[in-house]
Amino acid sequence: MTTDNTITKSSSAEYFSKNLQQVGFSSFTKATLTTVKEAIDNSLDACEDHGVLPDIRVEVDRLGLGTAKGADLIRVRVQDNGPGLTLEDAVKVFGQYLASSKFGRGRCSRGQQGIGISAVTTWSQLTHGTGATVITRTKGMKNAVQCEICVDIKKNVGILKTKQIVDWDQLSGVSCEFIMDARVQLNGDGGIITYLQGTALVNPHLNLRYKLLDAEEVFIERVSDTVPLIPERTSPHPHTMKLGEFLAHSHLFGKTNTKKWLKEGFSRISDTVIKELIEKGMPESVFNKTLSSVSEDQLKQIYAGLQDVKLMAPPTKSVMAIGEADLAKCIQRLGEIDFFAVETRKPTICDYKPIQVEVAIARRREKSEDDRDSPVQILRFANRVPLQFDKSACAMTKAVETVNWRPYGLTQPKKSLPQGPYIIAISLVSPFIKFKNASKETVDASDELVEEIRHALQKCGHKLSAHLNREIKEADMERKIQHLEQFAPILVDGLCRITRSNEKRKERAMAGLEKILGKDSREAEKEFIHAQEKSEDATKLMAENMGVSHEELLEQMHGNGENDNERDMPEQLELIVNTGSGK
Amino acid sequence: MTRKLNRVKVKLVTCMEKTTYTGRRAKGFDVSKLSFNLCDRLLTDLERAKRPVLKATKCALDNSFYNPDVGFLEAGDKKVATELNVSSVKKMSRTVFMLELILRNINVGAINTKRELYYISKGEIKHNKALKPLDFDDQTESDTIIDFIGELLECYREDLNCYANDRGGQTYSQQLVVEETMPSGEKAIIDLSKLGTSPFQPKNRPQNLKLKAKHKIDFCLIVESEGTANTLVNSGFTKRNNCILMGAQGVPSNAVRGWCRLIQTQLKVPLYFFGDLDAYTLQNIFRTLKAGSAASLIRNSDFCAPEVRFLGVLPDDIKKYDLPDYPVREKDVQEGRALKKARDALQNDPFFKDKKNKGLSNILKWLIQNKRRCEQQAYFSVAPDDPWMPEKIVLDKIKRKEFV
Repeated sequence: MTTDNTITKSSSAEYFSKNLQQVGFSSFTKATLTTVKEAIDNSLDACEDHGVLPDIRVEVDRLGLGTAKGADLIRVRVQDNGPGLTLEDAVKVFGQYLASSKFGRGRCSRGQQGIGISAVTTWSQLTHGTGATVITRTKGMKNAVQCEICVDIKKNVGILKTKQIVDWDQLSGVSCEFIMDARVQLNGDGGIITYLQGTALVNPHLNLRYKLLDAEEVFIERVSDTVPLIPERTSPHPHTMKLGEFLAHSHLFGKTNTKKWLKEGFSRISDTVIKELIEKGMPESVFNKTLSSVSEDQLKQIYAGLQDVKLMAPPTKSVMAIGEADLAKCIQRLGEIDFFAVETRKPTICDYKPIQVEVAIARRREKSEDDRDSPVQILRFANRVPLQFDKSACAMTKAVETVNWRPYGLTQPKKSLPQGPYIIAISLVSPFIKFKNASKETVDASDELVEEIRHALQKCGHKLSAHLNREIKEADMERKIQHLEQFAPILVDGLCRITRSNEKRKERAMAGLEKILGKDSREAEKEFIHAQEKSEDATKLMAENMGVSHEELLEQMHGNGENDNERDMPEQLELIVNTGSGK
Repeated sequence: MTRKLNRVKVKLVTCMEKTTYTGRRAKGFDVSKLSFNLCDRLLTDLERAKRPVLKATKCALDNSFYNPDVGFLEAGDKKVATELNVSSVKKMSRTVFMLELILRNINVGAINTKRELYYISKGEIKHNKALKPLDFDDQTESDTIIDFIGELLECYREDLNCYANDRGGQTYSQQLVVEETMPSGEKAIIDLSKLGTSPFQPKNRPQNLKLKAKHKIDFCLIVESEGTANTLVNSGFTKRNNCILMGAQGVPSNAVRGWCRLIQTQLKVPLYFFGDLDAYTLQNIFRTLKAGSAASLIRNSDFCAPEVRFLGVLPDDIKKYDLPDYPVREKDVQEGRALKKARDALQNDPFFKDKKNKGLSNILKWLIQNKRRCEQQAYFSVAPDDPWMPEKIVLDKIKRKEFV
């Protein structure tokens, strides 16, 4: 054996610096998006933690050619009005991997492990030689501090390279800037605009300004002045833990009484459950000992025993939904929308994890010919973070594909996404979202989760169909009226010519025909009115759920009333009704 | 439309020679009168504000019944009823519009194809903006209306002076003489033995023809492939045999079907069909020739030859003559569909279900089970150095009664 085979130990920073593709840096275009995304995630989490309404400004500039072939030199700057970071914390946040305030706390937050923003610093370091340029100020600081932070890759610690006091007109907040080799993709599935609009959609309380390359600055104003309530943390459920996690969990509690640990450290373990474990052969004495004096074998026994006991599903208090009212307001921010439906499901348990599903379906006002044959646009969100890659394998896409949309009035090729100028937004919130990869782009498609999303989609589709049906009936009615005007004289004229009938006979036949077809048109009108009523019922119910008045909701849906739900009966229809019944 | 009707002053000529029909059609059939009555009824209903209903014979397999006594598919009682409402008013208006064009044709003695009628209708609409809502997007739409009129009046498209192009049926014989009654009433005599190498082309109106045999004709051979029919003629088949030899050119056209019916009725000679051994030939070509089709239920009585027999290729011939055959690939879209249709035919087609045609359904079963097919040209592989060999096989099969 040579020294080449010596087993060495590497830091987590070293690991991630060599595997940045796993955390969102697999291409130059993805690098820009990941940078923007990680910075915004951190800002939003920080603001929500401190009850601050977030004001975020994003700037992306192209400074020139990058050092690598095919890359540009891109500067990304993200600034927030959050609580700010102390210098010490800033060094950890931007310069150290797995330094997180959110890890394993069982709460819905965008970030979890403390990898993302450190990976951004590493990418800047590796491609441009500079780390993160951070300006930070907390309310306790007299002045803002600007510093450059790098990652010590060997030791996985942050290095404060430079530090200076600067004038900053904000009382608190963080501004971070990265210069790196990257490329900018604005639109499409992996585009920055898609991400930013998606973020605005699921964060009604966010004021977002962005200036991308040479384009004008865009401002998306908040539609809600309420900071989302941070949900309670949830203790882990024994059925979702692996043995190793269970043992590690016990080490955190050292001298605590075992019974107390089980009851307080986990959800859904009660005295009855412990009694059941004793009945199944666990010595009662074990539960009265402190954890430090319980052997590993006994802990393993408890773990095995718990797996056999039937436990209640964990509570759902920890999920943080957007709510139908805010979702309805947010959807207006996607552009010109002529109809939408929203559905917020009650929190539920899927795969022993609390989860809440929300769905919004909107139809774009601007419809092109291509739209009719193109698949709908799907916006996926996990804990209010847009997911933009790998959509085909995602639980949300699978759910959309497996719903039969045809009864709701949408066209849908077999086993595919429905088609048309629609946007389907699906938001999942859960403290334990199971992603398929470290870059958190795809949610694992378990049967239970897919089914729960399908229920939400179906309910939303049902609301949509009430509206579409009204449109179909309206079109049908207009078509029928048109038919009467167009074909009645042709038919009667033709018949009279063949039979060489006189004018009087022609007039009688025409009157008779108008009577017959007028009756049909009135039937069509009845159906249209019925569909209109149903559509109104659906919007009234939606308005009630959203806590707004029906008029307000209609105003939201139809803007200035060009497509008003309660518009007057077409002139031709009145003509038909009169013709039909009058003669 | 009246614009043109008034301008054209042509003596009314009834193009159809109704009395020469060979089948079961009632004599004195008059499209103009039927149309008048139909339109009058519609108008009367309208005057009373009563919804008029158009009833047409349903031309589909589920309304087809095989009558073994007559040997062809007949229509059942099912009717397609079109009641006037806002949805059907367009179809009805188009029907009356097209009927008017057809009646004008009949009045002036004009004959057109469906495509020509399509263009005539386009022209009428172009010159009269009030008719614009009737405009046909493509020929399929106008064809559907023409067929619908045929089904309404229970008449042939030839009754409507709408003819298909004369396809297939090129006939050779040294014994056959055809007497054709021209629209003017004149008669033309065509002696097929005097046409040299040219064939006689039957028309879509075979009912206007009268057949005579100079000498006794032993049989009529209908060959699926026009090319193979030519080869047989070139090698002297018609010189050596007292026969009629005809090329069907695939699925038999109305002309071929009516022509064969005429030969069967007027000459009373046995008819043999010589074609490929595959599901398509048996179902689409041979069945249509022998018993008509579901789509043409109204005309089957005059447009099929129930006496025709399937000479081959028969399944036994493959072994007997060591014929090159090849497998049917079910993965091939076309072949797969043919097999599926064959299975369906065995279950639903009244022709194949009837015990009178058990021999033919057995061939169909054989094809489904063995998934093999063999083309008629395979007979040419038996003795390539003997150009008369296919003829010898055909004659031998007739002599030995090896047909179904």
